[in-house]
Amino acid sequence: MPENISNKYDAVVIGGGIAGQETALNLADMDYKVLLVEKELSIGGKMIQLSKVFPTLDCAACITTPKMSETARHPNITLMLNTDVIETVKTNGHFDITLNIRPRYVDEALCTGCQQCEWVCPKVVEDSYNSNMVGRKAISIPFSLANPKIAAIDMEQCLHCKKCEKVCVPKAIDYNMQPKRVNVEATSVIVSTGFNLFKPKNKPQYGYGKYPNVIDAMQMDRLIAPTRPYNSLLRPGDGKVPDNIAYILCTGSRDSSIENAMGCSAECSNNPICSQICCMYSIKQAQLLMGALPLADITIYYMDIRAFGKGYEEFYQQAKSMGVNFIKGKVAKVTPKEDNSGNLILRYEDVATGKLKEVKHDLVVLSVGVLPNSGIVKTFTNQKLELDDQRFIKQVDELVSPSLTSIEGVFVAGTAAGPKDIPDSILSAGSAASEAASYIKRFSN
Amino acid sequence: MSPLNDDKDSITSSFYLTKQTSFRIAMKQRIGVYICHCGGNISDYVDVEQLSKLIANEDNVVISKDVMFACSDSTQKDMVQDINDQKLDAIVVASCTPKLHTHTFRNVAIRAGLNPYNYTQVNVREQCSWAHSDKPMDATIKAYGLIRAGINRVKYSEALENIEITAQKAVGVIGAGISGMRAAVDLARMGNHVYLIEKEANVGGRVAESGKLFMTGENGKDVIDRLYKRIKEIPEITVFTNANLDKVSGSIGDFTLEVSVKDEALKLNVGAVLVTTGFDFYQPKEGEYGYKLSDNVITLQQFNKLIETSNDKLVYNGNAIKSVAYIYCVGSRQSKGENKYCSRQCCSAAIHSSLNVHEKFSGVKAFHLYRDIRTYGKQELLYTESSRKGDIYIKYEEKEPPAVEVKNNKTVITVKDYLTYKKELSFDVDLVVLVTGMVPRSDSNDISSKLKIPTGSDRFFNEIHPKLKPVETVIKGVYIGGTCQGPKNITESVQSSLAAASKINTILRKGTLELEPIVARVNAETCLWCEKCAAVCEYDAIKPIESNGKMIAQVNTSTCVGCGICGPVCPSNSIEIVQFTDNEIESMIDGFMEKAEINTKQDSQENEISSGKQIKLNGFPKIWREIASALDDKTLTIPQLSEQLGVESNVLTWHLMTMNRYGVVEPAGLDEDEAYYMYKLKK
Repeated sequence: MPENISNKYDAVVIGGGIAGQETALNLADMDYKVLLVEKELSIGGKMIQLSKVFPTLDCAACITTPKMSETARHPNITLMLNTDVIETVKTNGHFDITLNIRPRYVDEALCTGCQQCEWVCPKVVEDSYNSNMVGRKAISIPFSLANPKIAAIDMEQCLHCKKCEKVCVPKAIDYNMQPKRVNVEATSVIVSTGFNLFKPKNKPQYGYGKYPNVIDAMQMDRLIAPTRPYNSLLRPGDGKVPDNIAYILCTGSRDSSIENAMGCSAECSNNPICSQICCMYSIKQAQLLMGALPLADITIYYMDIRAFGKGYEEFYQQAKSMGVNFIKGKVAKVTPKEDNSGNLILRYEDVATGKLKEVKHDLVVLSVGVLPNSGIVKTFTNQKLELDDQRFIKQVDELVSPSLTSIEGVFVAGTAAGPKDIPDSILSAGSAASEAASYIKRFSN
Repeated sequence: MSPLNDDKDSITSSFYLTKQTSFRIAMKQRIGVYICHCGGNISDYVDVEQLSKLIANEDNVVISKDVMFACSDSTQKDMVQDINDQKLDAIVVASCTPKLHTHTFRNVAIRAGLNPYNYTQVNVREQCSWAHSDKPMDATIKAYGLIRAGINRVKYSEALENIEITAQKAVGVIGAGISGMRAAVDLARMGNHVYLIEKEANVGGRVAESGKLFMTGENGKDVIDRLYKRIKEIPEITVFTNANLDKVSGSIGDFTLEVSVKDEALKLNVGAVLVTTGFDFYQPKEGEYGYKLSDNVITLQQFNKLIETSNDKLVYNGNAIKSVAYIYCVGSRQSKGENKYCSRQCCSAAIHSSLNVHEKFSGVKAFHLYRDIRTYGKQELLYTESSRKGDIYIKYEEKEPPAVEVKNNKTVITVKDYLTYKKELSFDVDLVVLVTGMVPRSDSNDISSKLKIPTGSDRFFNEIHPKLKPVETVIKGVYIGGTCQGPKNITESVQSSLAAASKINTILRKGTLELEPIVARVNAETCLWCEKCAAVCEYDAIKPIESNGKMIAQVNTSTCVGCGICGPVCPSNSIEIVQFTDNEIESMIDGFMEKAEINTKQDSQENEISSGKQIKLNGFPKIWREIASALDDKTLTIPQLSEQLGVESNVLTWHLMTMNRYGVVEPAGLDEDEAYYMYKLKK
């Protein structure tokens, strides 16, 4: 790992989601030395959390795990996990980057991922990989498909009971591990920091966080995934098998009426743009639910159905013919049914009839939108990495060179530049690799 | 038993007594078999646990395991360890389609020091569990047969070496629209020579014909001029205009493109080909929304020209235009027609045109007759802006399209508006603009037949997989970018062609490349050069050569794609495909047909009895101990437990599911109403 590797790279890729992996692999396949920096404990990004992906309905793991494997194992790629970028300074045409590797309190070289520690650990904490719908232990592997599959301790939650240390055969536990600063030099930088999902609590009229059977779409993707948190597809409020599910599209997208938008942080600000993926992932989930729960009714409340990509319109029509119910209408409010059933009442205006309606559902899914995750710009200190009006990384020549940013030698890939679905993120990553390779080649000549 | 079985030995013995294969294949003796659950994709239908036990009894099988995800890193590591520890000489992975993971497991073999061709993938997902999800028992029997077939095949597998060939560091880019031009720049910057081949007299394609472009507001011609200036500064790019691609021969690393430029015929030697031939606009049929019946019905492209060329006032055919109706989805989203797809960029393009009108001329009213407005991403801001400017949006459904008629010299539109409860509206406008979609180019059949690129159901060129190989085609060395693959806007077109440039550079950068050795092989002794194989070969890969005083067939291993068409036509059985030899195929049939005895799932689970052993939860959350003692020897649902313990049901769900995850409790089937699962203590 890091210490025995040289600190000079042709490219440093920041963010190990699907776009970061694809960029890194393309460059590494061209024999460039790549450092892939990831803030989480595993590469994989958002995609590894998903069940299946539209419009082909391949399981997300089947597409991502080989790519993760290839990335982790590529001789030209060095992975740095649990790592933050502290500062990036451009000097004499190259970048000096300071990184901080946070301690995971488990020796990466020794841990085999056997999970014995996890089983004996008595401290139960929220499992963020499963959108907090289930618990995991204070020491655990990040998730079953993690790469690398190595345990880590959540030190803030740890009880220091030392049970894990006792069961660990290779003696990998190290409570005294310290953060480590690393300085690297790079010819180019690729920003592939991805996006944040809209936090549905910022749309309080939909009751997320108040009513347990109102969930967001990532939680639903977890519930459907093969590595799902429950033994079956159940609602989190009381474990009931749902039979009447509602989707509210455009939650936190195409919306300039988000409460408390003024003066609060990015996560709850108005979001006037369309998130580009929610229609399709909701239709995908609806199709998967029709398979998993053949008797369930599924209703999608929408403004416009944006099935624009290759094969997407056909996928939408297929969902219709399978019996998914599409209603054009904006939902105003979600309230609980007052019979302790855990069911919910949706109040909406049905555009087709012009009538205000109230309908009962037993599970409500909020199709949350895409928000920027561009805090990385603060780490570019001597030159400004500019953002666009929506706070995504600004594409300075959007039509002709979509990966160029305001700093020469810094490129953007994937959703860091704006909402994108997986195929578009992958193409954007390929395009960033092409730009970066051309730049590195010129620089090294 | 195969009826051919008796003859097999005699064929084999003569077959392998040739110079190139003078050895008999030593049957593999120590085989490892891995059967994948695929997280339920397979194991929900195929009883993989039972199969792995049964397979363990097969001849020559040393290890048989069922695994959650065969492709996961940890399982791959286990396989490497098994190969080394157990000295395996071949492996079989029964999981998904070989399209996805052939290379994954070949690499496992390589890392373990095993020849990658001593591995066989068995598809028990696409061709079994998914196909037979309604009949789990039959799916299990079929999977058993497929795996046995795979094991038999791998017994005959040969250790093979990849074919190394010289790769020309030159690329032929077909079509000099924005996608092709932009890719040419990066391909050259990355160190390749580029031949940019354009059919028309000028470069720039559709973008050069466009006026103001959405998102940046740049003029299309300016964008192309800027790019072309850059191209002219790069000596490694040779541009041919008025050029026609006549013929393509050769294969990855070494294609020959025969191109005629005016009267001159050129032969270009390239390592890869990038196809960026673009699209055509849909041409409305006569009478479609009044097209060609009324002078006042034009397409969006005609309208954009009008905006571009009009000054001060918007005038068409001598008449001032004060109102425009845009009809969307013309030639797209035809559920019964031939263009089922959405053309992706037309909503934004039309709204952008409307904004351009407002910017340039005052007092023009706009009516947008749409089905869904698809201004995805940041393009939504165009839609917001257009609404703010007072544009009127009317939603129609495909089954009730708007009618355009000429009445008393007026162009009248009648439409049912789904935004106002299907109220029928009738109004006249000065101009009707048909927002037409994208269709494959009229000459795309010509290109696809010369390069052998397959097309999808939408008739655009098809990639191998939208996520795994989005710019690759089934023809090695031939890539696609831009709108020849399907509707895209400019940014998306450029991204895809640059992604293709990246992939091309990864294969050409070294000047040599490795190809799979799965090609045809000739038995020099028995071949009589009757030419039958050469006649059927679509890839021109078979030529005669003299050997031991007679003519025999010789296979060009870089052109041969291993399609196998030559095998059946050979009268003396002298040509075969490596990895698909008669031995392998016949033994697979035998393996598949062998009798299968499978227990039903219920039988195999009979002996699972709870032992009632006390679970130690010292130090664990109190609620875990309370749940455990409430369950004791009972089975309860979450609401029942919740009531009994006085704990909120969502909190209880969270903890119970965590206990389920860590093996403290387990589900015990659904309750009577099939609404809730019951849970019990695990052992």
